Amino acid sequence: MNNNVKIKNIRNLIISLILILATFAILSFLDSNSDEMGYAISIIERSLIFAVVAVSMNLVNGFTGLFSLGQAGFMAIGAYVTAIFTIPIAKRPSVYYINGINELIANIEIPIPVALILGGLVAAGFAALIGIPVLRLKSDYLAIATLGFAEIIRAIIASPMMDKITNGSYGLKGIPAFNNIYEVFILSFICISLMVLLINSSYGRAFMAIRENEIAAESVGINLFKMKELSFVISSFFTGVGGGMLAMFMRSIDSKTFQLSLTYDILLIVILGGIGSVSGSILGAFIITAGKELLRFFDEPLTIGGVNIPLFKPGLRMVVFSILLMLIVLFWNKGLMGGHEITYDNIGKFFKNLQSKLRLKQASNNKQTIKER
Amino acid sequence: MKEVLKLTNLSIIFGGLVAIDDLNLTVNDNEIVALIGPNGAGKTTCFNLITGIYKPTTGNIALNRQTIVGKRPDEITKLGIARTFQNIRLFSELSVFDNVLIADHLRVNDNVFTATTRLNFKQEKFMREQAEQLLEEQGLIHLKDEKAKNLPYGLQRKLEIARALATKPSLLLLDEPAAGMNPQETMELTSLIDNIRHKYNLSILVIEHHMDLIMNISDRIYVLNFGKLLKTGTPTEIQNDKDVISAYLGE
Repeated sequence: MNNNVKIKNIRNLIISLILILATFAILSFLDSNSDEMGYAISIIERSLIFAVVAVSMNLVNGFTGLFSLGQAGFMAIGAYVTAIFTIPIAKRPSVYYINGINELIANIEIPIPVALILGGLVAAGFAALIGIPVLRLKSDYLAIATLGFAEIIRAIIASPMMDKITNGSYGLKGIPAFNNIYEVFILSFICISLMVLLINSSYGRAFMAIRENEIAAESVGINLFKMKELSFVISSFFTGVGGGMLAMFMRSIDSKTFQLSLTYDILLIVILGGIGSVSGSILGAFIITAGKELLRFFDEPLTIGGVNIPLFKPGLRMVVFSILLMLIVLFWNKGLMGGHEITYDNIGKFFKNLQSKLRLKQASNNKQTIKER
Repeated sequence: MKEVLKLTNLSIIFGGLVAIDDLNLTVNDNEIVALIGPNGAGKTTCFNLITGIYKPTTGNIALNRQTIVGKRPDEITKLGIARTFQNIRLFSELSVFDNVLIADHLRVNDNVFTATTRLNFKQEKFMREQAEQLLEEQGLIHLKDEKAKNLPYGLQRKLEIARALATKPSLLLLDEPAAGMNPQETMELTSLIDNIRHKYNLSILVIEHHMDLIMNISDRIYVLNFGKLLKTGTPTEIQNDKDVISAYLGE
């Protein structure tokens, strides 16, 4: 028994090493050919950022069972904090050329990693404050309250009163970009790893207990409010960091970037990947981000044999995309991963199950042929 | 004899309905006390009052002579009252092992940082050992990786009791533990309850409609009717009481 576990551990270690090497090989290939691969790189970077936000949404919605729709708001906070403190001081007059800049923040520029963490912390602070009244609500009421919060944040950012800080409706430009794809990868990797570690810890178990049955969770000594608040705050922290990363990826942001549709995009990723599955969220982030790009040819006019196909117009892409999503949800109604994780053991099990299923099918086929004779 | 639980003049009013009316009840150390009565008599309400889900309108609840009125359910669990539910409430998508392990959570001293960074590995190991030992004792260890929802009904009941025991209570509240069980399973449950009382040095307050179970294991019985205490006494006294027979037991 113990020996088996040891062999398994060694096997997993070897596979992990190979995977890490393969990942870095791919990354270095992309990075060294960044001129030709620019499109692919930007899709991957975007996917990685959305993976961080989707996993953090899953932490609250999938693992703690709280239906929160405030993601866009927390992303906006993280993005704006990161942007305000990292735009190079020299560039600021040209960014704030209409309204001027508040003197308090005019000369503060902090290193990017610190700014990202600060963005996360501010988002977490807001989450802690609104969590106190809002987390007492159940399911749909919580969704509506958090949705309202996100819209309030967006309205405040765009309001003229904030002109000297957020540049109001003009948005912020000149945000420093990532130097290379490694930075995005490593940042996302750290964020997701931390959340995975949390989910698999005693606290993660307490979150899942709340999702499964609140009253029972309380009856085994779990402080419902404290745990919900904790999950909400931690999730918002990583959502804020994700927002900061998105700001750096896009290089210019305004309040319209963080509309409700952004929350829906993330929700889509979480549901497509599977509620309560981290690997599902990561997979979903890549599928949705890449899918939206790969279907782009539907938007362009198409001519076959001199005949213009009438439907191929801008906008068709989203129609096709939505139909594909409906099909996926119809056939995998628990999401692609259905609450499972991709682990080495599960992959092995999957193939073993497939094998035995095939064998059973073959056996029944044989029986049928015998009967027919 | 040491009083573990003492309810004094306990009442609760929902709207215009007096669900519990001036109830006095004591559970002594290592005693099995039964709470019986017709449906709607207020038995489960009484449990919900003791575990802090409802706040009493008047009256006092004391655990080991300290009042627990106004405390949150999780605080009351930490003070040593564990319960099971009338309609089983397991963490159904989680494994049998995790169900018990979660209940160990409150006895270790860690925080979210030590837990995430795995600096709490000693506590984690301790929790796992405790959970494993408990499952071993309850004869559920061979099912530890099964999802709780996949267990047969009788074992789900057993797991719920095991989970309650994992919080190391001094008082265990069992809400209709034999509901839906056949005579064979009920007999096994009877011996299980008697067994855990001695093994873990527990006091047990049990709600049940299976009279054979009640008469077999309880030291004292309280009979509730319409929120009021109808009678209290030993099983034989209750069995032969005219009021109880007409209100509940039947001729």
